[in-house]
Amino acid sequence: MAGRDQIAGRTRIRGIGGCLPDRVVTNDELSKLMETDDEWIQQRSGIQERRHVGTDTGAADLGAVAAREALQRAGVAAGDIDCILFATLSPDFDMPASACVLQERLGISGVPAFDVRNQCTGFLYGLTAADAFLQTGRYEKILLVGGEIHSTGLDFTTRGRQVAVLFGDGAGAVVLDRSPEAGRGILSTHLHSEGKFAEKLWLEAVAAREPRRLTAEMITGEKAPIFPQMQGRYVFKHAVERSVEAIREAVEANGYSVADIDLLVPHQANLRINQAVAMTLEIPDSKVVNNIQTLGNTTAATIPLALREALDDGRLRDGDLVCLVAFGAGFTWASVLLRW
Amino acid sequence: MQAVGGVQRPVVASPCGPSDLALAASGPALAEAGWTPQSVQMIVFATMTPDVTFPGAGCFLQDKLGADTIGAMDVRGQCAGYLMGLAVANDLIACGKYERLLLASAEVHSSGRDPSPAGTAVAQLYGDAGAATAVGAGPGFATIAAVRCGSDGRYYDRFWCEFPSSRRYPTRILLEDLEAGGHYLKIDRDHVAEFGRAKLPDTVGETLAERGVATDDVDLFVFSHVFPDVAEQAARSLGLAGDRFVVAGAEHGHLTAASLPIALDLARAAGRIGTGARVCLAACGAGYAWGSALLEFA
Repeated sequence: MAGRDQIAGRTRIRGIGGCLPDRVVTNDELSKLMETDDEWIQQRSGIQERRHVGTDTGAADLGAVAAREALQRAGVAAGDIDCILFATLSPDFDMPASACVLQERLGISGVPAFDVRNQCTGFLYGLTAADAFLQTGRYEKILLVGGEIHSTGLDFTTRGRQVAVLFGDGAGAVVLDRSPEAGRGILSTHLHSEGKFAEKLWLEAVAAREPRRLTAEMITGEKAPIFPQMQGRYVFKHAVERSVEAIREAVEANGYSVADIDLLVPHQANLRINQAVAMTLEIPDSKVVNNIQTLGNTTAATIPLALREALDDGRLRDGDLVCLVAFGAGFTWASVLLRW
Repeated sequence: MQAVGGVQRPVVASPCGPSDLALAASGPALAEAGWTPQSVQMIVFATMTPDVTFPGAGCFLQDKLGADTIGAMDVRGQCAGYLMGLAVANDLIACGKYERLLLASAEVHSSGRDPSPAGTAVAQLYGDAGAATAVGAGPGFATIAAVRCGSDGRYYDRFWCEFPSSRRYPTRILLEDLEAGGHYLKIDRDHVAEFGRAKLPDTVGETLAERGVATDDVDLFVFSHVFPDVAEQAARSLGLAGDRFVVAGAEHGHLTAASLPIALDLARAAGRIGTGARVCLAACGAGYAWGSALLEFA
């Protein structure tokens, strides 16, 4: 399908930016708060350290720094952005959307700004919405940000250790427009969900479906639905299977094979998941970007942060066939194939 | 341009989540469109009161509908959520990615009711409801001729619910925040009303101009605002007589993302929309966020 590949005007990532808090939190530091240790965490997840804001900073604050870097690298003025999409599961406020807070930080009133709430796949769902907006000509330059402040929403006691050690704070941003060059940009996107597993990885409270959506019991009680809950092994198994499926779906939709992928940029939920996916598909380590070791899982921010790292260290090169893939809460999973 | 085929129904039930309300609304919407749940290719769910914090209401709806493992996207655009969802839905169809998409919009406000005297005044403005709109590439009851959205984040704290707040260090909600009622909706009434009075006619004007349609060429306007009198004043400022506009939520309270489709459905059921009619929808609220759409009926 090389011919189809040669169309100009596809959605491209014109600039990319990121923001990480300065404060590094090691496994040893966490082991002072809860019963855990460096070996246990690394063995199960590959994580050595992560970043925490350690102060009253919101997802939109990190998002604004990432956005400014993406704008600068794209050579686009903030005032030329005509739509803002923000992917997050840890918004600045219960409402309105963090996209509105980011809009205020960037000083670009008037353009639409809304959130995409799809957890670990939020960036890829947001990319799909942005792609549709650009392809219909509705907008010309879209700012898509994935940003999370997890550290203020985790249970740092032994009760929460299964989840709390995995997550880090951070934000990534991309400026999207249509490529003038034939064959470059997003080739296809693939979105999925399976809500029957919603409670395998979830944050129950605030729960509008309950008679009272937020109570003191939810905050201080033993069940603690105010903190995310995960059935780790269950998620792991599904993550590997669905990620493998989604990668195959993306390459096959475009007439490629897995061997044609130059760079796989997976969501960073667990290094062991990504290793199992790569092994199943026989993709060599040199073609897989992993940075969970130093950042933990930054959810909606993982993929833009990993892309930025790969671009800066030279692993991501012009003309590369790049596959993005993510799996997480919902369950939701998604893949995107693009020509860089 | 694409077609809309579907119906919306307000549902009263408690306790239940927005995905339950959207599910109830999906039945008649899919029936009118002639779609099975398994033929739906994508769900877009607009809500500011999801069933749980995550995953999104769209995932719960995907399961309850018995749909395939299709995409389920949650969009957070507050009072303009339906129009932002409609823009996403329209463009996912228009760019050729999907042919059959279900746009769900539902809210359960009652579970967040503030029992204090000041809070009751706010809570009384709201209702619970679900709507579903089948948005597809084929012929339907109406065509989406235009849909526009906008936001002004400078006023995010004039109409908001602060907690839980990820920027609250060290924990996004403390008992003291709960005791202070920080998890309830707060509205700066005068500012929100003034902004809406100006923005509703403004966004309508932009959408009609985009299609070269005059105000007089539109058969029915549907306005949604948390304050019904603001919606009415906006209509009057466009010079509309009472038979040419509907104030969404006048009967059920403000339904946020569900307001416009439910008002549209009620107007259809009441026989207020004739063959070939042009209908303009507009909403403005928290964010601030707003939007408007022009529908051309078959």
